[in-house]
Amino acid sequence: MKVTITLWDRDNPLIPVEAEMITPDAFFSGEEIIIAVGNRHMRLDGIADIHIEGEASSAAEVAIEIRGDSARFKRVGEMMTAGSITIEGDIGMHCGNFMSGGSIEILGSADGWLGREMKGGEIICHGDAGDYCGAGYRGGRKGMRGGSIEVVGSVGDFACEHIAGGEVIIRGNTGDYPCAEMKGGTVIILGDCSRVCANMSAGTCYVYGYADEMIPTFERIGCVDRDGLQLHHFRGDVANRGHGDLYVARYGYLS
Amino acid sequence: MIIEDVPCPFCGCLCDDITLTIKNNRIVGVENCCVLGNAKYLSKQRLKHPIMRKEGKWVEVSFDEAIEETARILSGATRPLLYGWSGTYNEAQVTAVHLAEELGALIDSTTSVCHNPSILAIQEVGHPGCTLGQVKNRADLVIYWGCNPIEAHPRHLSRYTTYADGYFFENTVSDRKVVVVDVRESETAKIADEFIQVKPGGDYLILSALRAMVRGRGDVVPATVAGVKKEQLQRVVDLCQKARYGAVFFGLGVSMTRGKYKNIRNAIELVSELNRKTKFTISAMRGHYNVYGFNEVLTWMAGYPFAVDFSRGIAFYNPGETTVIDVLARKEPDACLVVASDPGAHFPKTCIEHMAAIPTIQIDPCVNPTTALCQVQIPVAITGIEVAGTAYRMDGVPIRMKKVVETEFPTDKQILDRICERVRELNGNG
Repeated sequence: MKVTITLWDRDNPLIPVEAEMITPDAFFSGEEIIIAVGNRHMRLDGIADIHIEGEASSAAEVAIEIRGDSARFKRVGEMMTAGSITIEGDIGMHCGNFMSGGSIEILGSADGWLGREMKGGEIICHGDAGDYCGAGYRGGRKGMRGGSIEVVGSVGDFACEHIAGGEVIIRGNTGDYPCAEMKGGTVIILGDCSRVCANMSAGTCYVYGYADEMIPTFERIGCVDRDGLQLHHFRGDVANRGHGDLYVARYGYLS
Repeated sequence: MIIEDVPCPFCGCLCDDITLTIKNNRIVGVENCCVLGNAKYLSKQRLKHPIMRKEGKWVEVSFDEAIEETARILSGATRPLLYGWSGTYNEAQVTAVHLAEELGALIDSTTSVCHNPSILAIQEVGHPGCTLGQVKNRADLVIYWGCNPIEAHPRHLSRYTTYADGYFFENTVSDRKVVVVDVRESETAKIADEFIQVKPGGDYLILSALRAMVRGRGDVVPATVAGVKKEQLQRVVDLCQKARYGAVFFGLGVSMTRGKYKNIRNAIELVSELNRKTKFTISAMRGHYNVYGFNEVLTWMAGYPFAVDFSRGIAFYNPGETTVIDVLARKEPDACLVVASDPGAHFPKTCIEHMAAIPTIQIDPCVNPTTALCQVQIPVAITGIEVAGTAYRMDGVPIRMKKVVETEFPTDKQILDRICERVRELNGNG
C-alpha cells in the first residue's frame, strides 16, 4: 500500500500540528487519522490530500510519503513498528519517537528529539537534525535503546543524551554535550563537537574531528588505530565512576 | 498604625519580619526591609484604569469591557499562551491553571527563564535540599555559586547564612566559612574565605573536577581547569570535607549559562558525593517572591512545575518545546496573556517582536515595558500589600502574605475568575 499525503498550504503555517497517527500501523488498520492543529482536533484530510494506492497484508507493506510543508508536523512515525515513511521536506519535533521497527527517511532536516527513545528500526536524515537527536525524555533515565540513526548534516546540542543502545552516525558536527550521561550503544561523530560524553557511565563514542573543551575527568588510556587513523582512547567519566570508551582524533581542554 | 511581621513581596527570601507604619491608608514607614523591598512598599506609581488600544491610541475602558475583550481574544485563539504568575499569590495561580485547561493553552511561568534548568536537573537526579532554618542553625560552610546575594537577595546572608545567629554557633561570622564561585569578583566574592574565579561557561568542568577529587581521583584532573588552578580546587575540596554541614546556594550564573541543567545536575551530584563523607545540601536562589509557589500549584494541579501545554486536553510538559522563549521564538502563539511579570523588560528581541505582533493582554498594577506590547492592560491590587494570599519562599516554605492597606482595585483572582467564566460561556461550556 502506498499512501501519499500532500499537505495544503495553511493560513498560519507556524501553528504546530501534532500528527502521531501518521504511521504505517494506523493506515494499515484503517483507523480515522486525527491530528491536532494547535488546540483544535480534526481529520488529516481536513488539511491534506490523501491518496492511497494498492493494498497491504501487514503494516510492513505500507509506504507513506509526505509532501508539502511538514516542518511543524510533530510526532510523525511515533510508535511505528514496521513499514516506511518518506518525508520530502523538513519534519517537526519528535519524528520517530519510540519506534521499534520500519524506516523513516527525511530528505530535508529534522527538528528536535529525532528518534527519541527509539527501540528499533532505522532513521536516515539527509539534512541537519535539531537538539536531542536520539535522546530521552525529561527526567527519564534512558534515551535511544536500539535501532539506528544516520544524520548526513549536523545536529544540535545534547545529541544522544542518556543513550543506552543502538547506533548513531553523525556525518557533520554536533553542538554542546553530545552523549551526555551515555549508558550504552555506539555513537560516531565524523565532524567536530564540544564537551563530549559528559558524565558517561558506559557505551562507546568515536569523534573523528576535533573534540573541544574535553571534560577534565577522563582517564587517558593510550592510542588505537582505527581505519588508518590514530585515535586517543579515554575512559570515564571518572567523576561518575563510569567506564565508557571515548576515542577522539584531536582534542583540547578549557584550561 | 504599626503592623509587625509582614512578609515582603519582593524576592524569594520572603523576609517575614518587616514592620510597616500605616497612616491614612498609606505606607509611610518601613523597617527591617532591604532597599529592594523598601522601594516596592513605598512606590506610588500605578495604572489607575484598564486601558485598551483603539485605532492606534490608548483609551481608558471599564473593567467589564477589558475582561470581555480578553475573553474574546483568548477563546478565539488556536495557540494561546498564558505567561507570568510569579508576582501573584497561589489562589490566583490556581484560577490561571483552570483557565489554561479551559482554553487548551500553553501555561508557563518566569521559572522558564530562571531556574527551569535547576528543575530539569532535579527531575534527573533528585534534590538533596533543606529549609533555610537548617542552614542558619547548622551550616559551617556556605558556598555561593553563580549568584551575588549581597546585591540580588540583600538579606540572605544576614537572615540565613554568614551573619545570622545560629543555634549551634558561638560566633557565626568567624565560625562559618564562605566560598564564592563566580566569573567576576562580585560584592559577595569580597567577603569570601575562598573565591574561585572561573572562566565564563566553565562551571561544569570545575564541578566534574571537584567530584573526581572528592572521590580521590584527582590524578586524572589537568593542572588548570577553566582558569582555576588544581591547587585551589584541592583547597576547596579540603574545606568541604572538613565541614560538618555544607550548604550550596546557586543562582542564574550556573543555571542559565552554558551547559544549563547539566551544570546543576553536576552540582547536585557533587553534593551527593560529599554526602558520602559529611552532610551537604544544595538550594536554588529563587528570584520572585512567589516563583516557587507557581511550581507548587502547577505540580499539584497538572503534575509538572512549569511549561505545561494543554492543547491536546491533557497536560504535556517538555521544556525546549513548551517553554515560553522557545514557543515565542518559533512564533507559535496567536494570543498571549501576561500576568504578574514583565517579559517586555527581559525577553529576547525576537520573542518581544512576536508578542507585539499578536494580541497580547497584560494584568499588572503598573505600566511597564510589557505595556508597550499590549492591546489591553488591566490594573489589579498588589499582593502582600493590598491583598492577602499564600506565597512560597525559595526553600519551599509557604508563608501567608498580609493585606496592610485597603484598595478599590480588584485582585488577580477576581479578574481571572471573571475571564475564566466568560471563556466558558463563549466556548459553550458554562
